[in-house]
Amino acid sequence: MSTVVTTPPTKLQPIASRERGSTSRLAGFATLSRRRFSLSAHTPREIFVPLLTPILFAAVIAPALAKAMTSGGPIDYLSFVAVGTIGLLVPLSCVLGGIGMIVDRESGAQRDLLAAPIPRSTMVFGNLSVSLAVSCFQVAALIVVAVLRGATFSTNFSGIAWMVTATLGLAIAMHSVAEVLAARIPKQEEYVGVAPAVALVPWFFAGSFFPISAMPAGLTAFAKVLPVTHALALMRYGLVDHSGRGLHDIWGMSNTTAMAALSLGVVVGFAALMVAVSVRVFSRTAIH
Amino acid sequence: MSIGRNGRAHGAPLAIEVVGLRKTYPGGVEAVAGIDFTVFPGEVFGLLGPNGAGKSTTIGMLTTTVAPTAGTARVAGFDVVDDPIGARRASAVVFQEAVVDGSLTGRRNLEIHARLWGVPRASARTTIADIVGRFGLSDLVDRPVDTYSGGQRRRLEIARSLVSEPRVLFLDEPTVGLDPRIRYELLDLIGDLRMENAMTIVLTTHYLDEAERLCDRIAVVHAGEIVALDTPTALLESLGPEILELRVGADVDALLSYLRVHGHAGDDAFAVGTTVTVPLRGQSARGVIDRVEEFGARVTATTTRPPSLDDVYLRLTGTRLAA
Repeated sequence: MSTVVTTPPTKLQPIASRERGSTSRLAGFATLSRRRFSLSAHTPREIFVPLLTPILFAAVIAPALAKAMTSGGPIDYLSFVAVGTIGLLVPLSCVLGGIGMIVDRESGAQRDLLAAPIPRSTMVFGNLSVSLAVSCFQVAALIVVAVLRGATFSTNFSGIAWMVTATLGLAIAMHSVAEVLAARIPKQEEYVGVAPAVALVPWFFAGSFFPISAMPAGLTAFAKVLPVTHALALMRYGLVDHSGRGLHDIWGMSNTTAMAALSLGVVVGFAALMVAVSVRVFSRTAIH
Repeated sequence: MSIGRNGRAHGAPLAIEVVGLRKTYPGGVEAVAGIDFTVFPGEVFGLLGPNGAGKSTTIGMLTTTVAPTAGTARVAGFDVVDDPIGARRASAVVFQEAVVDGSLTGRRNLEIHARLWGVPRASARTTIADIVGRFGLSDLVDRPVDTYSGGQRRRLEIARSLVSEPRVLFLDEPTVGLDPRIRYELLDLIGDLRMENAMTIVLTTHYLDEAERLCDRIAVVHAGEIVALDTPTALLESLGPEILELRVGADVDALLSYLRVHGHAGDDAFAVGTTVTVPLRGQSARGVIDRVEEFGARVTATTTRPPSLDDVYLRLTGTRLAA
């Protein structure tokens, strides 16, 4: 075989000058966020289905448990479990959101976006923004249902700030976990098999139904390393228990604010780590 | 427009410049085995070859969606490894598989593309309105893409790629899987693009008629290598004005050697299966057939005809392209 290269064609036109400003990171991010919102809006089950289980929990199971396990303590069990339910809702919603990323890859849409003149990390952050927005909406809906059912939450500024920060940190971390899984798992079917385990298993150990100190010592130690345990302790500290018993069960210190700061550090640190990992994994797996 | 000694149009960079480009996938599969070519501004350049020849991988590397293993490539002057965003900003691509968001409307798909490529909102509206009209999408554009037929979806994809007015447009097997009528409509459309826009088009195809009809130059790709690169006319002329095709009941390689020894066939004659193809180059077909019979081969069918790109491809690779 030989390569034959000859003269160029004679009918050539000058390359057209179509200089235009580059797509800013923000514009690319906003466009990708809107795209993901538009796609989610066409499949509302992505938003509402993950709500069903936690809302049923908050509206039906938690009150029943509260009734059966009345302790007479300073925290009503209904409010305790309602916050614990956020530890199910946010991971479940974020992890199921990973299916959209696999659909993008399987449909070829991801490849098209990869050909756009924007940094590849923008695609990860575009998905993340939607995941955060959906999580916030779902948590707000859950709290409203819990209040309607009789839960009582503190509404001072610092309490809400702890709660919101912990929720956002947990959502960022779980979305990033979903992004990593979606990048590594080739098929939707396989992903659907893995997702519940990733979203649910930590929740059972994280003090969702009962304080982690009620578990055997080994399981308590395991619970302490789970970011969702720290997130739930922070949420309860902010909304239902300003004495920070959940934080004390983790850290065993006397300064509640310091314990809250440490737990927030765990949640934020885990979220930051997972974001970095998700961007790296996406960039490495999306480009062959 | 004149071309300088270095192959560049005066004052303008080459649209595409590829040197030693190679891609080996994990597992050792060498999809592209070190290719070199240049594409000039305003040219329609074809990569012609069968499935698996390395055409789509080449497009993938030029659109920065596949990382090269070795070599360099520049798109509109931007190195695809060192400045991938620059290369992507200057180009657009229509991939082989449909990649529009089916649940969104056609218009939404066009708008998203415009925003991602940094087209200002006002000019995006004007451009979209213009393109939608030109591509006959006016009645469809506000419907979800899931309701489009295959041809309509393909038209939308090509329209979308034009919203950013790319300097270089990559079309990766744009008509594959379409029925013949829609395929010919699309070919007209692509042909019109080069008439109306000063745009460089790189087209991959395994359809010979597409390559011949649309391309200024064609690179014939086989097993990850470019085995010939020339204008369609020059490629066809490499086999002369007429060829003789003989189906014979004999050892075709021995027959070919025999014809060469006796001066009836040159190096450009070739044999595949039981068929021997001999460029006639002025000699009579009867003379060649007589010599074949003299060899002792039974001739079961003969055809004389002008050569096609399929013959060129066959001579270069020993493999027939899918029709």
